[in-house]
Amino acid sequence: MPSLLRRVKSKMFIFAHRRTLTLLDGEYGSVFKGRSLDFDELRAYVPGDEVRDIDWKATARHGSPLVKRYVAVRRHTVLLLVDTGRNMAAQALSGESKKDIAVHAAGVLGYLASRHGDDVGLLHGNGTESRFLAPRSGEEHLERLLREVDASASLDGPASGIAEQLDYALRYLKGRLLIVAVADEFLPDTRTETLMRRLRGRHEVLWLTVRDAELAAGPAAEITAKPGSRGQDSTDVGTGQGIPLPLAVDAKVRAAYRAATIERERRRQDVFYRLGIAEEQTTGSDDVLTSVFALLEKHRSRAFTARISTKGGSRAG
Amino acid sequence: MELSYWWILPLAAAAVTITAWLYRPRRPPKTRPIAHGERLTALPEYQQALRRHRTRLTLAVALGAVFLAATATAAARPIHRTTEQPEIRNRDIVLCLDVSGSMTSTDAAIAAVFEDLAKEFDGERIGMVIFDSSSVQLFPLTDDYQFAAEQLTQAKEALDSGAGSFFDGTWNGEGSSLIGDGLASCVQSFPGTESGERSRSVVLATDNFLSGNPIFTLEEAAALAADKKVKVHALNPGDMDYGGQPDQPGALLKAAAERTGGTYFTLDSPDAVPGIVKEVQETEATSYLAAPRVVIADAPDWPLGVALIAGTGMLLLGWRLEP
Repeated sequence: MPSLLRRVKSKMFIFAHRRTLTLLDGEYGSVFKGRSLDFDELRAYVPGDEVRDIDWKATARHGSPLVKRYVAVRRHTVLLLVDTGRNMAAQALSGESKKDIAVHAAGVLGYLASRHGDDVGLLHGNGTESRFLAPRSGEEHLERLLREVDASASLDGPASGIAEQLDYALRYLKGRLLIVAVADEFLPDTRTETLMRRLRGRHEVLWLTVRDAELAAGPAAEITAKPGSRGQDSTDVGTGQGIPLPLAVDAKVRAAYRAATIERERRRQDVFYRLGIAEEQTTGSDDVLTSVFALLEKHRSRAFTARISTKGGSRAG
Repeated sequence: MELSYWWILPLAAAAVTITAWLYRPRRPPKTRPIAHGERLTALPEYQQALRRHRTRLTLAVALGAVFLAATATAAARPIHRTTEQPEIRNRDIVLCLDVSGSMTSTDAAIAAVFEDLAKEFDGERIGMVIFDSSSVQLFPLTDDYQFAAEQLTQAKEALDSGAGSFFDGTWNGEGSSLIGDGLASCVQSFPGTESGERSRSVVLATDNFLSGNPIFTLEEAAALAADKKVKVHALNPGDMDYGGQPDQPGALLKAAAERTGGTYFTLDSPDAVPGIVKEVQETEATSYLAAPRVVIADAPDWPLGVALIAGTGMLLLGWRLEP
């Protein structure tokens, strides 16, 4: 089996320009590297760095932008919280397996973290059991995590239940973590929402959603879908129920589905907005990098506002 | 309604079973796995469409079964078996014409009538014998109606003119109009002695005006005819001249004819001949019915009609089911 991490890295390097990569680096750094008052060093500005970290005096002296670096407050721990239930073995919007996209996304984030010397852990599982791999640094460890994700999600495994993993994290994991959850387009029920709120209170939570396959394929979706996925009946991996193709292309059903999808998406966004969790969606492995970047960006702006408001004395979210 | 090849049905059932077994899905059909199907399946529109889809599938299966059953039935060749008793025309008719001078016009009329009748004959056999002092068989019993018609035409012409070689051989005996001998030769021209399935009749045209010494008297000839179950229908054009005594020529002829089970007609003019011949035909026609016969007729209309409707329904459904 070829190295999953290498695959992730090669995709990062091939599909992302170097510029984007450094941008991602800077983004990660400014999101997860905390700031302390202990000045460490000055270094050249990298796109993605916080503008307010720029040492303007030093920049004026030096001629090019320099940012202040501080000694990190503490050693960071990134926890990849990945759904590896049966649902994740199903098709994503791009026609790939959602699991592959989850592996890719987890790989990108883990790699960024390991470049910054942070520990990366994994909490994954399905509706019946959760598995925790303790955070550790190093690319070998990251590779192990990715393989674990890749091997766990299969079509004949138990169904998904992200609430179990959230519960596990709340029960057993101490200390403040940077949690990056990778799950599919589920609609959080009350319990899940409560767990997410509590998790959000205790840790920093980022949420990456792998979008699910289009069910009633419209003409627009057929173009983006893989050629093989057209003209096929579907089977719901959750219930085992089949969806015959003739029904999925029925104009009336499609119209109703479109309306229902918009409504569902609105409700999901509402949940994440209420909880104050930065959420971004990815449709396939092609736009994982973009999504991760957008997620970090979103989280940073929200964290920033949160920090400002904390300074102001009131707690947001 | 029954089937000629009933074994087609089990054969067709076996074929369908084998085909179904051969084409049974060996592995689950390739579908794409998706999650959160309730996004679509929970929609009322989808539920409705699913119900419609299921109804159509059920209907398609039912129509397919009906189609198969109907075509198999049609292949098994359904037949209607009916018993019928057809009226068959298997009469033998011998025209027995006295060609003595007084009779020629009547003979010509009879020949003309039978010339016309011969064109419509189907199954009957017709023969012709003329006699005076001796008898000549003009043509034997035949169903070659064209030939018979030709002969009758010639006979008619000859009788009309009353002269020529047509009458050769009718004067070989002593006297003239030896009616008993003539009738006997007519009766002899039926093949065999025992009565077969075919009815036999002689149309005897004579005035029964005997002059000479026949070998057979009229009574003997009539007895011979009755023996061979030959009905003699006698036509007498000259029965107006002699009173009503039983030994009158007309009365004798009538007695002879009725003895054989035949009929007796008197003729006022040759014009009455067609009506009389028709009457004779009718009395004969009703009395002969063939043995009951089984008639087998194909009746594919029902199964094929049902198959057509089922097939059309399947096409329409297939068109609707095709995405």
